[in-house]
Amino acid sequence: MTRLIATRLALSVVLVVIASFVIFLLMSFVPGDPARTILGANATPDLVARLRDQLGLDRPLPVQYGTWLAGVLHGDLGRSVLSGDEVSALIVARVPVTASLLVLSTLVIGVLGTLVGLVSAVRGGVLGKVLDTVSLFGLALPSYWIAIVLVAAFAVAVRVFPATGYRPFADGPLQWLLSLVLPVAALSLGGITIVAKQMRDSALDVLARDYVRVLRASGIRERSIVFRHVLRNAALPSLTVLGITVVASLTGAVFVENVFVLPGLGSLVTQATTSHDLPVVLGVGVVFTLFVIVVNVVVDVLYGVLNPKVRVR
Amino acid sequence: MPASRLPTRTLLAALSVAVLTLTTTACSDTGSNGPENSGGPGGTLTTQFAGIPISLNPALGGSGGSAIFTALAYDSLIHQTGDGELIPDLATAWSFDPTNTVLTLTLRQGVKFSDGAPLDAAAVKASLEYFLSAGGGDLRYAGPVASVEAPSADTVVITYKTPYPDGPYYLTQYWGVGQVIGPKGLADPDSLLTATDGTGPYTYSASKSVTNSSYTYEKNPGYFAPEAQQYDSVVVKVIGDPSASLSAVTTGQVSFAGLTPTTAVSAKSSGLKLVTAPFFTWGLTVADHQGTLVPALANPDVRQAMALALDRDALASALGADYNQANGQLTAEGVDGHLDGYGFTQDLAEAKSLMASAGYPDGFTLPVLTENVLDNQTTISQAMAGDLAKIGVKVELVVKNTVPDFIQAALSKQYPVLVWPVIGSTSAQVLANFVQPGVTDPFGTADPTLTALYAQAQAASGADRTAVFEQITKASNEAAWFIPAVSTDNVFAVDADLQNVTASALNPNPLPVSPDPRYAWKSAE
Repeated sequence: MTRLIATRLALSVVLVVIASFVIFLLMSFVPGDPARTILGANATPDLVARLRDQLGLDRPLPVQYGTWLAGVLHGDLGRSVLSGDEVSALIVARVPVTASLLVLSTLVIGVLGTLVGLVSAVRGGVLGKVLDTVSLFGLALPSYWIAIVLVAAFAVAVRVFPATGYRPFADGPLQWLLSLVLPVAALSLGGITIVAKQMRDSALDVLARDYVRVLRASGIRERSIVFRHVLRNAALPSLTVLGITVVASLTGAVFVENVFVLPGLGSLVTQATTSHDLPVVLGVGVVFTLFVIVVNVVVDVLYGVLNPKVRVR
Repeated sequence: MPASRLPTRTLLAALSVAVLTLTTTACSDTGSNGPENSGGPGGTLTTQFAGIPISLNPALGGSGGSAIFTALAYDSLIHQTGDGELIPDLATAWSFDPTNTVLTLTLRQGVKFSDGAPLDAAAVKASLEYFLSAGGGDLRYAGPVASVEAPSADTVVITYKTPYPDGPYYLTQYWGVGQVIGPKGLADPDSLLTATDGTGPYTYSASKSVTNSSYTYEKNPGYFAPEAQQYDSVVVKVIGDPSASLSAVTTGQVSFAGLTPTTAVSAKSSGLKLVTAPFFTWGLTVADHQGTLVPALANPDVRQAMALALDRDALASALGADYNQANGQLTAEGVDGHLDGYGFTQDLAEAKSLMASAGYPDGFTLPVLTENVLDNQTTISQAMAGDLAKIGVKVELVVKNTVPDFIQAALSKQYPVLVWPVIGSTSAQVLANFVQPGVTDPFGTADPTLTALYAQAQAASGADRTAVFEQITKASNEAAWFIPAVSTDNVFAVDADLQNVTASALNPNPLPVSPDPRYAWKSAE
């Protein structure tokens, strides 16, 4: 297990370099000129040229990337070309928001998805069909759309939750939680249905196994069979799906943060991309890459915890 | 605890209690709107702006509505009221010489920058000169400045190379050139990105702000007109999504928000006050009126025919009749130079006849450059293209997805006709778009008549100016370089409790601050 984590961490360095270079390359294809974006419609070509020079945009791409990478190796992610803020400071200010959003939504997806899936497998019948129908909607409706509907219903029509904005944990745990209920709900719906469906299918599969029949014949209580034996075995494929869902939530977070006006990394990278703020886009890109790596390592570790066979390998 | 002994019922009961508690507390909390919206003198004003600041340094920042990020902290030399009137701010008086080239400003006494340094003519001169050298995108609004002098402690003289009667207008709170930066800030311009150094009613608080998301300004204790400071702090929230803006203003999270015509309908039904003013004038800019790319465009009859082909009423009503007006002339209603009842209206028979006599009875193919950022979904561009097809002009729309991309394409001289909105508080200011090289005049080919009229408008004064402005309106339609179609409103939702938010065609972007308390935003008592 230790070796697995060490290998993954070593690999992550390579991945971060590759990912940042790809982002760098893709950003160079985005139409428009950063200097022109910053200066606006009225800037004269002279001014634009001057700013391009200041920003180093005239230098070859590999040189620009090399300069950035050298800075990163010295712990410097650069400065936003627009606001002049340190990219690292911008990221640090916004990580709590996105982290809160993702951690809560992962918990909600994991717990609710597992519970619904298990109950549906054990009880079956109508609940199973309802789950199938809801999953179809859950998958078809984008989190962006769900977010708008949730705001209209629970923030504007019935004023239960705030329509926009984030309250830091320091303002009070309840305020913090209230500001996140709707965004988390919007972000989790699709994931819950995916995990629940996977959990139901795996649980049904396990429930049909011989050893379950033996356990039942031995007089073990049904609840014990489900939670102690079925859940443990059915959890493995669901864990993989949960991992994928959490990574996919990152994309959802970008939209959800914009609808709920949450000052997270998603809204930061959206603004930075439209305004060609390359250092910020690269900085957030690195954080996102690290996040994906961490999620994968966590999933692998949990796999090992749940399945001793994996640990041996 | 072993999984098998999970108390399902207890868990469910606990969950229900938690949800109930959460719901009831939420109701009691948001019901009072929280501290964000506690308006009134001493409270906090929370307002919305759709974009992030270009820069917090006034010399590099944006103009118009985006000036809110700097105007809160930097007083301008002159202040423009919601009705468009120019009133004293840091300058108590100003006047031009008879040639409209020498502008003399008298400064207010006893004003201090937020760091305690006194405001004097030397500081103003330094600030103006810094603006001219800083290389910001709004440099052109400073005008053709030849020199800035400070002959005495309270007198500043700006000399322009050519007449520039709009000088005072551009020294107001909406333009960086008018916002005065203190000597400490000028000594270290980078500091202006994270701190402010103005004489304004508020100072920027970086520690209470989140860059690109929420900007907090706190009361400046040394402000020269404390009676105009209505709030302890002002928060500007960056909310780009139109539906999020609507939700925020409907639920009282912000007291003021920009809307779209669609969201305006919902806002009105929610009981919010709406403040509207004509802003953009949209039309076809015939950049290639010399016929370099499309020879037909050199013929004035063809341009007239195109102008007669547009169904402006249908377009205005499709965009939302309440907040858009059909417009057949250079400027929107209310702008100096606008002529009531004048302008192009649709006449397809006449248009076809002009096309035939010009030698294009079957029309021609016309590439038109547009973008889908300001012209949402390219609705306006497509409607105009549809109308031009009725006289045989087959439009090939080239759509750019970002404004910088559009600007680059427009300046490339590859596109004969552009769709891009124009603004101005006089017809001469709008005309400037077509007689000075730039996005709307990429070929830089000036029409002698229009150029002469523009120069005349700069030299005129008083009532004579309006006469010239009206001549400009007529001459513009005769030349038909710009084929106007529709004027779209700026629409803002205002909390019923918020007073003094006004806008007009002359000032379509309300800002909360004013040195005169009669114009500063405040809560109803």
